[in-house]
Amino acid sequence: MDTQWETYEVFHQSKRGEPHEHVGAVHAPDPQMALHMARDQFARRLNCVSIWVVRSKDVTMTDYQDGDFFARTTDKSYRDPKAFEAPDKLHK
Amino acid sequence: MNSSAHLNSSSEALSELLVALADDELILGHRDSEWTGHSPILEEDIAFSNLAQDEIGHALVWLSINESIGGKSPDWMGFERKWNDFTCSHFVQYPKHDYAYTVVRQFLFDAAERIRLQSLKQSSFQPIKEAAKKILREEHYHLLHSQGLVERLGGATEESHRRMQEAVDAAFPQSLGLFEPLVHEGDLVKGSGMKPSSELQEEWLGYVVPILESATLLLPTKKSNGKFIAVCAPEYGGRSKQHTPHLQSLVADMQSVYQIAPESKW
Repeated sequence: MDTQWETYEVFHQSKRGEPHEHVGAVHAPDPQMALHMARDQFARRLNCVSIWVVRSKDVTMTDYQDGDFFARTTDKSYRDPKAFEAPDKLHK
Repeated sequence: MNSSAHLNSSSEALSELLVALADDELILGHRDSEWTGHSPILEEDIAFSNLAQDEIGHALVWLSINESIGGKSPDWMGFERKWNDFTCSHFVQYPKHDYAYTVVRQFLFDAAERIRLQSLKQSSFQPIKEAAKKILREEHYHLLHSQGLVERLGGATEESHRRMQEAVDAAFPQSLGLFEPLVHEGDLVKGSGMKPSSELQEEWLGYVVPILESATLLLPTKKSNGKFIAVCAPEYGGRSKQHTPHLQSLVADMQSVYQIAPESKW
């Protein structure tokens, strides 16, 4: 019997309005306990206003083997926004 | 601050309360720290290491208030005091045993601490009132964690049920020692509006019994007039410094580094 708990991916938000960022994963028996585990692992030292946990197996992901998924086989540099620079202020 | 309250409850009585509160926290904190590197899973290892730091931090809060009313320094209390001068309950002295016992002990302790702090929040002695408010904010999450584990492990599998029930059987009579009346308790009840231990125990039973029962764990209590009553002998002695030998070895361990060079500044 597999007695290992499932893993939950943990997303951490340092300030309201900021994005939730992936910081790691925890083992837990259910989502509620996963929040408690995540609090202990990730919220004790980092500033934190919100945490999300998502069952790892509920994350649909690309396959590293499928390199073509992200390939740019023809020159599309004309699409790159490189004629201007966005000031840092925009991000704040 | 109501200064008459301070006068009414002698500083001897206040000090007895503060040191008992601190000693329960300090000794359980030390027991919790013994799981560092040994817990069944990494997440619990970190959780119990956090708990240990928190409980020892709470002990420091109480001992600092004690120092402010004329007691010895927190460092002296922790590292120079003789083991048989501590006033912690037997409950927190026992070795950590297995994880089931650890989880059950932590749950019974966290619930007791919360109920005691809610009462101390009403204290007319301002430093205790403020400390209780501050510690409660942290203690809330200890209880959610330990209660979460009790609720899930109590009836999860045959083995988890058996081990949790064995832990409850061992821990429950010991845990009643958290409510062993203090010698000068009468002064505090009259002087600073503190609830008597018997009343705190009754509130605590009202909280823990339904949770344990819904986790399929039984304990020696009966219900009378809507209130739960313990029907086993409580394990007293800690508040009057009659300790188990486990405390002696724990304190020796806790003080060992300090005692190598007591004059050192850390």
